[in-house]
Amino acid sequence: MTTLLALHFLAAGVAPVAVRVLDRRAFWLLALVPAGSFAWLLPRVGDVTSGAPPIRLSIGWISTIGLDLDLIITPLSGILALLVTGVGAVVLLYCAWYFKPGDTEMWRFTAVLVAFAGSMLGLVLSDNVFGLYVFWELTTVLSYLLIGHNPERLANRRAATNALLVTTFGGLAMLGGLAVLAHEAGTTSLYEIVQAAPRGTAVTVAVLLVLVGALSKSALVPFHFWLPGAMAAPTPVSAYLHAAAMVKAGIFLVALLAPGFAGVPGWRPLLIVVGLATMVIGGATALRQTDAKLLLAHGTISQLGFLTTLVGAGTRQAAFAGLAVLIAHALFKSTLFLLVGIVDRSTGTRDITELSGLARSLPGALVAMVLAGASMAGIPPLLGFTAKESALAAALNVGPVTGGTAWLVTTGIVIGSILTVAYTTRLVWGVFSTKPGRAATAVVPPPPGFLAGPLALALGCLAFGFAGHWLTQRLLTHVEGFPADEHAPVLTLWHGINLPLVLSAVCIAGGLAVFAVTHRTVRTIAAHQLAERGFTAIVRAIDRVAVEVTGRTQRGSLPIYLGVVLVVLVAVPGTALALAWGSVDHDVVIADNALQAVVAALICVAAVLTVRSRRRLRAVLMLGVTGYGTALLFVVHGAPDLALTQVLVETFLLVTFVLVLRRLPPFFSDRPFNANRWARMAIGALTGLAVAGFAAVAASSRTAAPDSAQFAGPAVDFGGGRNIVNVTIVDIRAWDTLGELSVLVVAATGVASLIFLLTDRSTRPGRATPEVSRSTRAWVRPQRRMSDDRRSIVLEVVTRLLFHAILIVSIYVMLAGHNLPGGGFAGGLIAGLALMVRYLAGGREELDAAAPVDAGALLGLGLAVAALSGLLPTLLGGGVLQSTVFDIHLPFGDLHLVTSVFFDIGVYLVVIGLALDVMRSLGGGIDKHAASDEVAA
Amino acid sequence: MNQIVLLPMILPLLGAGLCLMFGRSARAQRAISVVVLSAVVATAVVLLVEADRDGPVTVTVAGWPADLGINLVADRLSALMLLVSTFVTLCVLLYSFGQGIAEFGRESPLSVFHPTFLVLSAGVSNAFLAGDLFNLFVGFEVLLASSYVLITLGGTEARVRAGTIYIIVSLISSALFLIAIACVYAATGTVSLAALAERMGDLPDSVQVLLQLLLLTTFCIKAAVFPLSAWLPDSYPTAPAPVTAVFAGLLTKVGIYAIIRTQTLLFPDSPLGDLLLWAAILTMLVGILGAVAQSDLKRVLSFTLVSHIGFMLFGVALANPLGLAGAVFYIAHHITVQTTLFLVVGLVEYRTGTTNTDKLGGLARHAPILAVMFFVPAMNLAGIPPLSGFLGKLALIQGGVADGGALAYAAIAASLVTSLLTLYAIAKVWSRAFWQPADSDLEPSRGGAGSMHGRGGVSTKTKVESRWQSFAREQRLPLPMALPTVALVLASTALTIAAGPLFSFTERAADELHDRTPYVEAVLGNTVQDGGR
Amino acid sequence: MSINLALLVVIGVLVACGVTLVLERSLTRILVGFVLIGNGINLLFLVSSGPAGRAPIVGLGAGPMSDPLPQAMALTAIVITLGVTAFGLALAYRAWQLTGHDDVQDDLEDDLIRRRADLDATSATFEESDETLPDEDGTDVLPDEDGADVLPDEDGSDVAGAEPLS
Repeated sequence: MTTLLALHFLAAGVAPVAVRVLDRRAFWLLALVPAGSFAWLLPRVGDVTSGAPPIRLSIGWISTIGLDLDLIITPLSGILALLVTGVGAVVLLYCAWYFKPGDTEMWRFTAVLVAFAGSMLGLVLSDNVFGLYVFWELTTVLSYLLIGHNPERLANRRAATNALLVTTFGGLAMLGGLAVLAHEAGTTSLYEIVQAAPRGTAVTVAVLLVLVGALSKSALVPFHFWLPGAMAAPTPVSAYLHAAAMVKAGIFLVALLAPGFAGVPGWRPLLIVVGLATMVIGGATALRQTDAKLLLAHGTISQLGFLTTLVGAGTRQAAFAGLAVLIAHALFKSTLFLLVGIVDRSTGTRDITELSGLARSLPGALVAMVLAGASMAGIPPLLGFTAKESALAAALNVGPVTGGTAWLVTTGIVIGSILTVAYTTRLVWGVFSTKPGRAATAVVPPPPGFLAGPLALALGCLAFGFAGHWLTQRLLTHVEGFPADEHAPVLTLWHGINLPLVLSAVCIAGGLAVFAVTHRTVRTIAAHQLAERGFTAIVRAIDRVAVEVTGRTQRGSLPIYLGVVLVVLVAVPGTALALAWGSVDHDVVIADNALQAVVAALICVAAVLTVRSRRRLRAVLMLGVTGYGTALLFVVHGAPDLALTQVLVETFLLVTFVLVLRRLPPFFSDRPFNANRWARMAIGALTGLAVAGFAAVAASSRTAAPDSAQFAGPAVDFGGGRNIVNVTIVDIRAWDTLGELSVLVVAATGVASLIFLLTDRSTRPGRATPEVSRSTRAWVRPQRRMSDDRRSIVLEVVTRLLFHAILIVSIYVMLAGHNLPGGGFAGGLIAGLALMVRYLAGGREELDAAAPVDAGALLGLGLAVAALSGLLPTLLGGGVLQSTVFDIHLPFGDLHLVTSVFFDIGVYLVVIGLALDVMRSLGGGIDKHAASDEVAA
Repeated sequence: MNQIVLLPMILPLLGAGLCLMFGRSARAQRAISVVVLSAVVATAVVLLVEADRDGPVTVTVAGWPADLGINLVADRLSALMLLVSTFVTLCVLLYSFGQGIAEFGRESPLSVFHPTFLVLSAGVSNAFLAGDLFNLFVGFEVLLASSYVLITLGGTEARVRAGTIYIIVSLISSALFLIAIACVYAATGTVSLAALAERMGDLPDSVQVLLQLLLLTTFCIKAAVFPLSAWLPDSYPTAPAPVTAVFAGLLTKVGIYAIIRTQTLLFPDSPLGDLLLWAAILTMLVGILGAVAQSDLKRVLSFTLVSHIGFMLFGVALANPLGLAGAVFYIAHHITVQTTLFLVVGLVEYRTGTTNTDKLGGLARHAPILAVMFFVPAMNLAGIPPLSGFLGKLALIQGGVADGGALAYAAIAASLVTSLLTLYAIAKVWSRAFWQPADSDLEPSRGGAGSMHGRGGVSTKTKVESRWQSFAREQRLPLPMALPTVALVLASTALTIAAGPLFSFTERAADELHDRTPYVEAVLGNTVQDGGR
Repeated sequence: MSINLALLVVIGVLVACGVTLVLERSLTRILVGFVLIGNGINLLFLVSSGPAGRAPIVGLGAGPMSDPLPQAMALTAIVITLGVTAFGLALAYRAWQLTGHDDVQDDLEDDLIRRRADLDATSATFEESDETLPDEDGTDVLPDEDGADVLPDEDGSDVAGAEPLS
């Protein structure tokens, strides 16, 4: 069985190629696949329908989620598989004539259609609930593509989208239901789930959800409107998907579950009422259509309602009749669609008000359509008749299980059948009759092969009509699952004068009468369009909700986003803080010593001043004060390394800020206005409070001794350094430092990438110009090639003298760092500051003179050195970044060398590179811009 | 041998350094990047196999005792994340060659793209492998710093605006992360995840919840969980296609990974399951509604990205093995498919010069291959079976049913609604960009496809052609861009075929996460052996 | 572990002031605020390291050492802050260069959506229904006779759905 499926999808894969080569003759080749499957299935279905146990086959796929490839041939699934493959083969053959040679879209069409045939086969054969859903959705998507085969018209695109959304909506509801069913029944095998037939509220809800899926797929009210829209697909597709195969999926599922779940509360009322309503509405709207194809579409809706009523009623007799009608419908409805397609291709229209006199010009089509139509209308001796007889018989006996509603079901079916007869007559009359005052429509006679398919199917209707007894034996095997009652279902052309026969006669007579009254009416606003408007309204509402919600949540404003983040921080962890506060006892020290208290106060003042200052420069200077204050606190706490780095970094930042600010307007703009000032301050205050609180609670609940308690010994022995912080940075936690380096490198890269852009000055907004003029009043005048009179010789000389001294100091700090405060960062920053001084004193020429190297190369070198010094130890058999200590005895003394110093050198280089890069970009680069601005101004 | 855990970081960093040194030669940089990333992918494969066979692969950097130094751990989850992310990164790198993105900012004296891209990949890998909270922070900083540079690449006004929002929000989230770390250390005296797993229990429950919420808040910003998600759709779409693709694929997943890691390892019996479920539900719905409202392909995708983060959070919140396995599988699926889609949209932009569905049209007819390359992953994203998106969702649904709580059922409903709306959003853009005839720019206020009905089909066709010529910048797609995209499309489809083994793998990974002992013992167990140093 | 009130107060004030600045629109101000928060967080690491002590250098003085690990972490944090702040400043300069000020702009696309919301309009991609019937042939490569059955208002309704606001 899996081979069959595989073959279909394989064929779908090669279809485009085949079309390229064989053009439309490719369909003959492709038709072999379903035809072959049909041949393979026939004997096996024969067995299971004559009492043999179901044929099951299971291939593990994703057992974790119970999604395996479980296939099964029961009488029901076998019969449907035969229909799917049989009709599929006929339709594919038919396509070989339907399409024009050299149709550019054919390659896609064939692939999708064959893939659909495979999915449909998989759907009916699948025994795994989730496998069923997989094929179910596949058919939906493929049908979407087929409906959108020619998507240039809005109407067609919308029809495709509607069909997709409606059926997927049902499908997803069904998925939820199936998941619950599988969980409740403890198995994913449909067969076993029906056997187990669990009960309970969960099951009831689940079953109803599954029914929603079935109803939407089978286009029952109120989902029925997608089916007429689906007529945008080429006629062979309508014949196959929207008559024989896909729309039967829902019926199939109901028929499959009925033996186990027909008793579930809500099942029968829902299916019977919806089914009858659909049958009547569909029939009524079909009577209004003038497009033969649409007439058939509405007829299909009506018939699907009929089928749903039968298979949903859940009696042995009804289920039997349901299956019989299903077979009949598949045969005659696909025939009729194919015939309409032939008429369309031969005359160029399907409008029954335009067609005239075809009876003479298309005799073959006439014969076939009369046969199929008679079957649809339930006229003996065709299968449609025998099936409907059994249906009426079943309807008369559903009373006991449905609470005495036999009369309702029967009347409903009779009314529906009357309409069926009427629109069938309308179809045959409309297409073939000679309309008074209308010349006979010009006809291109169809090739015989074109007609062969529909004729064959039509004859099938006739043959099965006579094979009633044989078919009865077959179908009975399906209904064994139902409790037996006194009424034995049977298909036969004659079982004496009885109520069903009378009712059939009533239907035919009534139908002809209705036709006589209505055959002049043309399309008015049809029910399915009302339903479609309803659907569009729903979609529109969803769209509106989407716009509203997005408009509210997606403000596009940074302050609001940050505000939300901080409010969440205060609200959620803040609440937890409030709850946790009491659970730990706080041992509070006011301050370690007076100095700490004083500095703390100082920092607070500076911080507030930073917020209050409107001058950019003042804000930055106050910021610097807080930074240096922080450094002091570090000293007090006993963290000299931290203090040193903090001071250097703060200075570095200060200069960087100033370099940028010299170009920006000296005052902050007044936005945002004071309106939300209080809100910002409130959020700020709360956040500050919360953070301090987090720290307090966390610190008070310390349980274990810190890891670092054991650092001291190993630092000296393994790390080879007495300064534990430095050993931590270059050895114990060197991995962090490596990451930190890469951050510096990319940051530097980014700075350069933003400054050195060929920005077209002409695109600069005019309003920038005043800023420029104001910026000349800024703190530092933009550096550019200085005329000698403006150069301060003294300053330059001094810096040049100091420069090399500072560099030596920086190297010393780097090397000493292992045992004393310092290290690569400190050293690098010192050297970097030296470069800054050079630049500030003498502009960018001076900088280039001081460091005639490419900043990028320096950064890269530093990173590479650090990384390599990390990798090298592995060659010495150590671990990455593992350091070794060498004590080399030299004549003038011992050299204590730790390999991690190379890592420190990398750090040193990167930091210098950063400094150089910043000077070149924010210093020299901005100078260039300034110069060109002044030229422009 | 365990040292190879370090390669995914140290190799790209070395490569980045070399790229900077050879800043002048684009060819050299390409060669370095490709070699490095390929090596990393190979490493990831080895780690995956080892982690699955012998349990977590761990190393303490610089050979220190595990209880002192930084541990890097590749358990099943980390290894899988590493493999998927590095593979995707490699594909995006190759794609970027075709687009010549490295040319952006070429005026700068430094070569920007390749070094930064390599550092980004190093940061992502480090975040996945970190066995130490502070090192996780460093990993985040590395990938964030590089992302700052990449998202503002070229420094156009739009990118500066979008980049600023992204950068500032990230800066604040990093600050929160530091606060959380300081608090964790203050309370426990360690930042090693394994040690924390042992010590966290000693704290009062209320303090545990406090620390847990601090970490969650941070990670939820990075993972773009509602209401902390609004920054994402504003910032991603403006960047160059490869950048957006790799961001969308990886960055948010790092956040989700961090959530999974900390939730399972540090707070195994968390009382916050319901809170997470609520967040998941809201993220799914608000995100997808946003996608429905958009008309630009990149923005639609960005909002679906946010929305589908909710699926993963759903799985994490369920905290039963099936849900967790589903979440892990979904992450792998989502990394692949989201990256693929952004690359395909990049191809659309390359070919037509726009991603706005008001301007696009007729692609199904004029670029059928491109249409297929979009349709398959798009359906995958919408969770159409049998594609991987559906499989992950199915696992989550079953996990929810197994949980059985009312809120779990609500989350199931939300995830189904989200799937439907995702399909709707995608059908809208498909219908407009790929089906609708490409004549819309003939009307200044685009009257939609309907406006062509008045005219005959023929005239329309001619209009289509002229319209097409008018905006087709490139008739053929450059192979260097197309091939990696195709590779990713196939990979995302292969997730379906390989779903059986992959799912049993994620299930094993989920079990490993649930019983935390393998992780803790793999890390602290080796104190004894390495302690001898 | 005892907690130091002075430090906690400084942390609180620094963070509060920093946040207030970060919520501004001027990018340089935001960065100043960020650095303030950064200083506060560095002090937070002091708090987390417990009581003060002598410098953690072996053989340098006597008495209990201060905890070196948080110092190392804070040091890393400081340097990272340095790097990203420098980048942020370059960004601020670039913004000023492009727009003439360094204020953070709002997102434009979001603004469009919000205005649709204010107008109670649907999304730009929502296609209103026209009552035309789908038809396979109407879309054939051949000329399309069915153009007639389009309702006259169809263009109008469609525009309403799809016109970009301006």
